[in-house]
Amino acid sequence: METYPQILLENRKPDHINTLAEYEQNGGYEGLKATLQQHSESDIIQMIDESNLLGRGGAAFPTGFKLKTVATDAPLPRYIVCNADEMEPGTFKDRVLIHTNPHMMIEGIIIAGYSIKAEKGIIFIRPEYESGAKILERELKLAEKAGYLGKNILGSNYALEIVVHRSGGRYICGEVTAQLNALMGKRPNPMQPPPYPTEKGLWDLPTVLSNVETFAYMPHIIRHGPDWFKDLATTDTGAGTKIFCISGKVNQPGAYELPMGIRLSEIINEYAGGMLNGAEFKACLPGGASTGFLPKEHYNIEMDFESLKKVGNRLGTGAIMVFDQHTCLVDATLNLTEFFARESCGWCTPCREGLPYIRDLLARIENGDGEQDFIPILEDMGKQLWSAYCAYAPGAVAPLQSLLRHFREEVEAHIHQKACPFK
Amino acid sequence: MLPDELREALEKQIAHVDHPRELVVDAMLALQDHYGYLSDEAVEQTAAMLGMSALEVEELSTFYTFIYREPVGKYVIHVCDSLICWMDGFESIKNYLCQKLDIEVGGTSADGLFTLLPVCCIGYCDRAPAMLINRKVYGPLTPGKIDQILEKLRSEA
Amino acid sequence: MPKIIIDDRDIEVAPGTKVIEAAEQLGIMIPRFCYHPALGSVGACRVCAVKFLQGPFKGVQMSCMVDAQDDMVVSTTDEEAVAFRKSVIEWLMLHHPHDCPVCDAGGHCLLQDMTVSGGHGIRRYPGKKRTYHDQYLGPLIQHEMNRCIHCYRCSRFYQEFNGYRDLGAMQSANQTYFGRFEEGILESPFSGNLIDICPTGVYTDKPSRYFGRRWDYERSPSLCINCSLGCHTIASSRYRKVVRQEARLNEAINGHFICDRGRYGFSYNSLKQRPRTALFDGQTASIDEGLAVLKQRLQAIVDTDGSAAIACAGSSRNSLETLAMIKRVSQARSWQPPAYLIDDAITAKVKTAISVLDPDLAVEMREIESADFVAVLGADPLNEAPMLALALRQAQRKGATIAVFDPRPVCLPCEFTHLPADPDAIHTGFGAVINTALDAAVVDKLDAPAREFYSSLAAGEQTFTFQQTEIDTLAEKLKTCQRPVMVCGTEIVSRQTPALAADCAALLQAAGKAAGLFYVMPGTNAFAAGLLTDENVSVETLITAIEQGSVKALILVECNPLWQFPDRQRIEQALQKLELLAVTDYVNSEVVPKANIFLPTTTLYESGGIYINQEGRVQVVEPAYRGGIPIAETGNGDHPPRIYDSQIPGVEPQAAWQILAQLIDIGQQINANDLRTDIQHWLIKSESGFNQLPGLAQIPPLGTRFFQAPNSQKHFECQQPNGGSTDDGRLEVLVTERTFGTEELSAYSACLQELANAPCICMHSSDAQQLNLNDGDQVALELNGGVIEARLQVVENMAPAMLIIPRDGKLNWQQMETGQTRIRRDQIRKVE
Ligand SMILES: Cc1cc2nc3c(=O)[nH]c(=O)nc-3n(C[C@H](O)[C@H](O)[C@H](O)COP(=O)(O)O)c2cc1C
Ligand code: SF4
Ligand code: FES
Repeated sequence: METYPQILLENRKPDHINTLAEYEQNGGYEGLKATLQQHSESDIIQMIDESNLLGRGGAAFPTGFKLKTVATDAPLPRYIVCNADEMEPGTFKDRVLIHTNPHMMIEGIIIAGYSIKAEKGIIFIRPEYESGAKILERELKLAEKAGYLGKNILGSNYALEIVVHRSGGRYICGEVTAQLNALMGKRPNPMQPPPYPTEKGLWDLPTVLSNVETFAYMPHIIRHGPDWFKDLATTDTGAGTKIFCISGKVNQPGAYELPMGIRLSEIINEYAGGMLNGAEFKACLPGGASTGFLPKEHYNIEMDFESLKKVGNRLGTGAIMVFDQHTCLVDATLNLTEFFARESCGWCTPCREGLPYIRDLLARIENGDGEQDFIPILEDMGKQLWSAYCAYAPGAVAPLQSLLRHFREEVEAHIHQKACPFK
Repeated sequence: MLPDELREALEKQIAHVDHPRELVVDAMLALQDHYGYLSDEAVEQTAAMLGMSALEVEELSTFYTFIYREPVGKYVIHVCDSLICWMDGFESIKNYLCQKLDIEVGGTSADGLFTLLPVCCIGYCDRAPAMLINRKVYGPLTPGKIDQILEKLRSEA
Repeated sequence: MPKIIIDDRDIEVAPGTKVIEAAEQLGIMIPRFCYHPALGSVGACRVCAVKFLQGPFKGVQMSCMVDAQDDMVVSTTDEEAVAFRKSVIEWLMLHHPHDCPVCDAGGHCLLQDMTVSGGHGIRRYPGKKRTYHDQYLGPLIQHEMNRCIHCYRCSRFYQEFNGYRDLGAMQSANQTYFGRFEEGILESPFSGNLIDICPTGVYTDKPSRYFGRRWDYERSPSLCINCSLGCHTIASSRYRKVVRQEARLNEAINGHFICDRGRYGFSYNSLKQRPRTALFDGQTASIDEGLAVLKQRLQAIVDTDGSAAIACAGSSRNSLETLAMIKRVSQARSWQPPAYLIDDAITAKVKTAISVLDPDLAVEMREIESADFVAVLGADPLNEAPMLALALRQAQRKGATIAVFDPRPVCLPCEFTHLPADPDAIHTGFGAVINTALDAAVVDKLDAPAREFYSSLAAGEQTFTFQQTEIDTLAEKLKTCQRPVMVCGTEIVSRQTPALAADCAALLQAAGKAAGLFYVMPGTNAFAAGLLTDENVSVETLITAIEQGSVKALILVECNPLWQFPDRQRIEQALQKLELLAVTDYVNSEVVPKANIFLPTTTLYESGGIYINQEGRVQVVEPAYRGGIPIAETGNGDHPPRIYDSQIPGVEPQAAWQILAQLIDIGQQINANDLRTDIQHWLIKSESGFNQLPGLAQIPPLGTRFFQAPNSQKHFECQQPNGGSTDDGRLEVLVTERTFGTEELSAYSACLQELANAPCICMHSSDAQQLNLNDGDQVALELNGGVIEARLQVVENMAPAMLIIPRDGKLNWQQMETGQTRIRRDQIRKVE
């Protein structure tokens, strides 16, 4: 088993939260010092842009580009928001980061905040992570005491305050624009741009929102440079490392920091301890619940955003959920659809009504009441949900569409046998 | 009635922010912790403190999973029913809890201590099957562990 | 200007036009639910999908969310788009109860139309339907949530457009629920618009529930006559009864909406107690008999006391035809000059307003929506002209500053600055704002009269109770604004205020701003009444004449002074003193039983009429139906009626102008239409104010405005009055309007009576404290005429040293002596 560099999860010890002092001993807040002492705002954006850092929240949006879209003459105050909602099923990397090295993401938020002249930072966190919220609140205070936050950070003129905002708990709150509504005390429906949040976000002011993991990379990029970051990946198309969350039918489920582009087979066999005894790899969801089933033929795929796109799938959040030969994928899709139908915000018709429709048909198929006619309807619904209001619905039908593409016989077997073949 | 201490704490917090509305979830959670659930009265109090209408608070209180608009037990058990926990035994964990507490999903135990609710992925797929009790996580669960947890909570109650 | 091709046809549209709107301009109606021209686009329902073939967007997109841009080629008929829209309909119908046969929206339901046109006919979904509980939302609206398609129009209208916060979206996913926190009456006086705006049958009209389908109704363009704005409506009638009224789109006045007073204010038309037969001395008679008796008795009075002993009074609810006919008859018969308005002050203010409202200054109500600064001077929009409040809200939403100078506890559904000035200080307050706002450099360039007027504004620094900082803040806003509008009332303000408001607007215009002027007047046809009335003639002067014995006979034409005149004892005595009281009306008002002779008239819905709103817009209304006694009454509940007749029962009443015409013997010779033309000719010929009146046929559906003041030359002539009142410890009494309960015609509507708050008297907290009174106390005001008793409402947001009393029919408020406007504090006591 090769040991890859640990950037985000360095000094990870079981049940141990790195203290501020420990973080500092390992180069913590050096990136911030360099930022404030040596770099202009645009230098920082430039470096992040050159690093090819793609957002780790699931959409793989180029982070540098996002920072660049805040106009230099945009109104003040500006906001920097850290998305710690992490509600994508299968995903728990942000939780691991918060519980391993909370200051790393804090430092990243400050650096990104500086680059866009933000005065206010907010960490939006799901209620299930109450312990994480408490850690962050505690560590933010310590960071402020140490002069990394507040007025006059490290003697520079830069001032930033960061608060923790607890969510009331709802999957859609992870979506950028819905999150902004949630932060403003409005119903967390998404809002289709334009205007873009970087132009008019919170309270109509420029707002940059990124994922916990995305922020956590920033201090390292500043310290070691964009090229170093790019070279961490094993593929040319990838950049940096990635925390992969592995769960399902493997021996050692967990979060592993590995190079972007590492092969799926290597992740499962080497790091996740292989498949469970007697289990054979049948498929996995490579990036959370809103990605498609990746069949066995891609067992060796290089795990980066580009490679998965090539096979019609997505790396999403890098949450790999592994299924074996005994898993009924119709039932799994039903479970996922149930999740999405329940969590839909209810704003647009396709998602609000289409998902329960799909759920109903899948439940019938799974229970042996399926009809051949259901398959074209399901195919049709899968396609039509792409014209929903936000990215939720296309993600929600990814499992269904891949089920019909790669495991159609399994669906048909349910219908023909009038029962689930796995039960 | 809201104790003065809680009210003052919230009012201080509200006075500190630019837009009172941004604290609506915090306020709802605080009042819910106090009353045990977000009663009609609590909705109205939240609204009054934040300069919102009761309806505007209700638009949000009914949206969020962790705001309870109906009475719940002292301990709210959220069993994860999303993919990984579901594969790893959600069904039997749920059934075991129902049987132990003598309730159905959504119900509250006769002693008023436990309410059982299913919840979507809680971000502990590496510890499946998992559950939250009052926003604290437990997993991977086995019947034995569940017995211990319930025992402990009962003795603390 | 972007050019776009839709379905192979090109069109050039204004920048910012959405594709759905561009298509509409081509006559292509793309399906829509959530999009509404007044509410804008939100992209929620997804039924407006079209295919973008070329240009910056590709594929299936929502036409409501994309701005038309150059090089766009769009197909609304593309297979993929059609298939998607069909799916949307299928989804929307999954849970629909299919209760169209018993749904009042059936037949004018956008969902029905889209379901049929979208080609969704056969149900495929095998699952169960979701059901909801409905809520009680008050007497106007029936709630039926199972029909909901979640287009969010209701919550967006209610919260965003209309500015009320008690109806919205709750729950989420496919449980999303639209309603209130708790069951109860909707707070907004514009809530009836939910009925019009809902694309299906979630909100339907409650008073007319189960009465008929849209296609059963005679639907007719009509006009609201419940305030001076003259909003456009559609009246629906069936079985000889007006049963429902809806908003009618009008880009100049009310846009897409109307207020609930207007929507439901029509019940008087079909009330069972509506008087439909002539009476004299308590006996029923035919109209001809009644008229004959009237003529005979009038002649007797002429014979003994001369024709000047006869007077006629109309009111601002008369049609222009009636107003004119009153004058024509009075002149032809040498009676007293007729009275139309209640007292001299109102008459003077209305006449002034008319005379200074020139085309350069006058704005339409919709133009207020794009103002960036609105000064409301002595008007209470929500209570006096409700739709004006909604217009102010739209202006405010776009960033306008709204400043209200008014002593009353004014509420508006938007943010505004309230400067509770007493009536005499209204213009000094606003004058101070203008004075501060204008730069010396600008002032120097003005003409001498404008400059003089400008400096007179500085002099008025006396007695307004608000802070200099408030004046300064507003001045700062006024300084930078481009399109300020002065909205000025004519009821509670002092006599000079209407002219000063015009002067202020003219000054701002001279200072380079696109300033506008907008008056609110007392009653739907007050503008026309004001034009026709002589200076110093009012109901009040007629009463004096009766008291002095010079007037012995009075004809009240659709006029009920008992409703409005503040000194009840006096008017009752005067009426008693008369030798002859004749009343013609279509409502059973309090004066009807007192009349020696009564002649029934027809309503707007039966005879139509011309109305001139407060901005001088002449609008013609055609009859909505033929008239007659409602079938429910004649058939005693049976239908069809068992007694057949060649004549519709109950069509004897005539328009008041037709009846009056017979007093000068022209009525019988010509038919109604010719008579209307004849009246017009008379007006144009004999009344100088009307010589610009366009002929009936020339008046377009939107109405046409005509002005008395052709240009701005008359401005800056008015003297600044002394601001403020001397403080003698007494309280000034202001009798004012409420949205519901004070307007005479709408007060007949049972559903609105339910909405009217119990009338209460308002007082500033400082006065209450001094008098040891508390909010909610029952108080008695001991006045010379008697005692007014009501609940006390103690408020902060009004001028001190004042009492605000609603002119509510349920409160016997008319205990004031004429001219009495102040009461001593010891006249107020708490009732234990
Ligand atoms: C339905 C939905 C849920 C999402 N949930 C999350 C989430 O929980 N956490 C997150 O970081 N991003 C989430 N995203 C992605 C965000 O919209 C956004 O792209 C991301 O947070 C931006 O950060 P990044 O650029 O660092 O990835 C979600 C997106 C969608 C459409
Ligand atoms: S797709 Fe529509 S209903 Fe679903 S989450 Fe997005 S906006 Fe809400
Ligand atoms: S009208 Fe365009 S989405 Fe509803």
